Amino acid sequence: MNVTEETTESELPEEDSDALAMMEIETSEQVTVYDSGSEIRQPLTLFRNIHADFLAGRELAWRLFLRNLRGMYRQTALGLFWAFLPPVANTAIWVFLRQVGVFQLGGDIEVNGTVYILTGMILWQTFVEAFQMPMKVVTQNRAMISKLRFPREALLSVGLGEIFFDLAIRCLLLIPAFLSYQVMPGPMILLAIPLAILMILFASGLGMLLMPIGSLYQDVGRFIQLAMPFWMILTPIIYVAGTDFGGQLMVWLNPAAPLIVLARDLILLNESAFWLPGLLVSAISIPLFLFGLAVFRISIPVIVERMQAF
Amino acid sequence: MPDEQTILDVSNVTKVYCRNLKRAMRYGLYDLGREVLGRGKDREPGKLRPGEFLSVKDANFSIGPGECVAMIGPNGAGKSTMLKMINGLIKPDMGRIQIRGKIGALIELGTGFNPVLSGRENIYINAAVLGLSKRQVDEVFDKIVDFSELPHVIDAPVKTYSSGMRVRLGFSVAANLRPQLLLIDEVLAVGDVGFRMKCFKHLRTLVANGVSIILVTHAIGMLQRVATRSIVFNHGRIVHDGELEAGCAVYEEVLGASERERVERRQSAARAAEVANAFVVSHDGEESKEFHTGDVVQLRIQLTSQEKVHNARIVAALCSPTLGVLASISTAHQNFVFDIDPATHPDGVWVTLELPRLPFLIGAFHFNISLYGPETTEFYHRRSACANFRVVGPPVDVDGRGISGVVGLEHSWSIES
Repeated sequence: MNVTEETTESELPEEDSDALAMMEIETSEQVTVYDSGSEIRQPLTLFRNIHADFLAGRELAWRLFLRNLRGMYRQTALGLFWAFLPPVANTAIWVFLRQVGVFQLGGDIEVNGTVYILTGMILWQTFVEAFQMPMKVVTQNRAMISKLRFPREALLSVGLGEIFFDLAIRCLLLIPAFLSYQVMPGPMILLAIPLAILMILFASGLGMLLMPIGSLYQDVGRFIQLAMPFWMILTPIIYVAGTDFGGQLMVWLNPAAPLIVLARDLILLNESAFWLPGLLVSAISIPLFLFGLAVFRISIPVIVERMQAF
Repeated sequence: MPDEQTILDVSNVTKVYCRNLKRAMRYGLYDLGREVLGRGKDREPGKLRPGEFLSVKDANFSIGPGECVAMIGPNGAGKSTMLKMINGLIKPDMGRIQIRGKIGALIELGTGFNPVLSGRENIYINAAVLGLSKRQVDEVFDKIVDFSELPHVIDAPVKTYSSGMRVRLGFSVAANLRPQLLLIDEVLAVGDVGFRMKCFKHLRTLVANGVSIILVTHAIGMLQRVATRSIVFNHGRIVHDGELEAGCAVYEEVLGASERERVERRQSAARAAEVANAFVVSHDGEESKEFHTGDVVQLRIQLTSQEKVHNARIVAALCSPTLGVLASISTAHQNFVFDIDPATHPDGVWVTLELPRLPFLIGAFHFNISLYGPETTEFYHRRSACANFRVVGPPVDVDGRGISGVVGLEHSWSIES
């Protein structure tokens, strides 16, 4: 307490307390109880609450989405062009390396190699972003999460919104690529859209399961950064997935591969040798996402405890 | 069970923390596992894992509609932890918190601001974080801008604002929250004096309209503007729940006690002479802790020594834990000379300092007593934050209709004819 400051304030004219205005108070009879019990004990209530918070957080999610989007490009000269640049640059690197003979695309496909790599790269980047999204939104909004009570699901909505936005932007890149390399997708491309959505749910579900451990131990984030290039090499993106036992095994053992390979095959080739692993991962993607949502929600208070001093 | 009028009911709430980072991470992982398995974190009372401590111990209180309660206490006393549990940010390890109605929080102003975006855009973002819809903000947008006193810069990026301007904008948005229970944590020291007064008036308006407020702050001088009740935390426990003035005095006492512990720890146990005991007594000679402004207060000091101290000297400093030294009095000033001779006084000598009319208003006070020999460099012992006492009346008034501050001045008003 500062004596001088107090004296100064006391000298100011106090407004008459009788003049306090009437105002409308938001009242509700809703009773909220906090105790040590886990919300997961009543799964139906838990998912009802998650659903309610997704709805309650819609406007917040939209505001945060706009904030991030505007904030990202406002201080740039090239603006939205930066959304297109990374996948183009990535593809250009791999196309260049393939052309100078550093690696071979392999396999026997009837589609241009550049388009093949670009499509795979777009799907891979979407998978990676969805996988890292839960940890990213928690880390980026640390101050907000630890200080304010708001529907945490809004952060997931923002994260998912950004992933879909980036995917849509990148898909626009495919149009000139298809036109210039005369690639004509078949009707199966329509199936690739729900597959891409399921892939995002699957990857973000995995990410949500990993988020609590990753928020406690930074080792997780560091390991993911380290492992990502290897994971990409192990995923058939810059080469064609083999249909032999070895190739099949690589797809079956790699959680990122089945949906990426199947979706890309359906976009470019209108057929695929990887229906089974693709459909299997599709089938578990929604339950995994839901379980991830539950873990994400119940782990936030435990993480907030460790975020800041008491 | 809380009655129907109760807005907030805190019942037997305990929260455990761990200061060791590695252990806290490990326990976090374990607790997460229990949460996922649906076993929660309820634990046996008193059972702590290595490195853990009780940040909040068995807290019980309730708050009714239109009550403004100040939660005060030293750093690390558990008040912010309590506030976080009420806000639902963290879960209690034991006990139960029940809230009836809408809850809002003013914990950090301007949460969600993006510095690159304009003040106008950030108003909508911050409002959304606080749970206000776009429609609600549209309706009060002009009021928010007026309240913030920033209409001239509202379209400039927030990063061009000063820190004071940012918090003003943040408070102006948050001022539109109309919950039944509002939590406020250390955010009232914002802006200049004029803006602060506006904030207090706004809070009083909320209280007058039936909003219950919990206010966490260290600036206890400001509390009288809005709060009527205080809950004092110390080492995780509630040590006072009741009248604001009494709570402020308890808080100052708690601060004084921690200062005493700190100084005592620092001083060596072996010394030739020492201030063995000190306490205050009232005019009837009885030891007392509570006085009124204008009362007679006597400070009784027991001095002991292992060898004769010739021409001993005492310096007694009267202090407030929050304001520091208010007055310092030495025996030398009145040429009061005495010896401490263990041969003639084996139990020590008793010296009394009398203050015939205590000038201080409501608050907590204590003495720091130092014992010297005749030379400036002959220091023997200092007893800090001892002989503590409280002034409990008459009531002070901060609305400009009575007396307030630290000292009750004798005064009279007159008008020239």
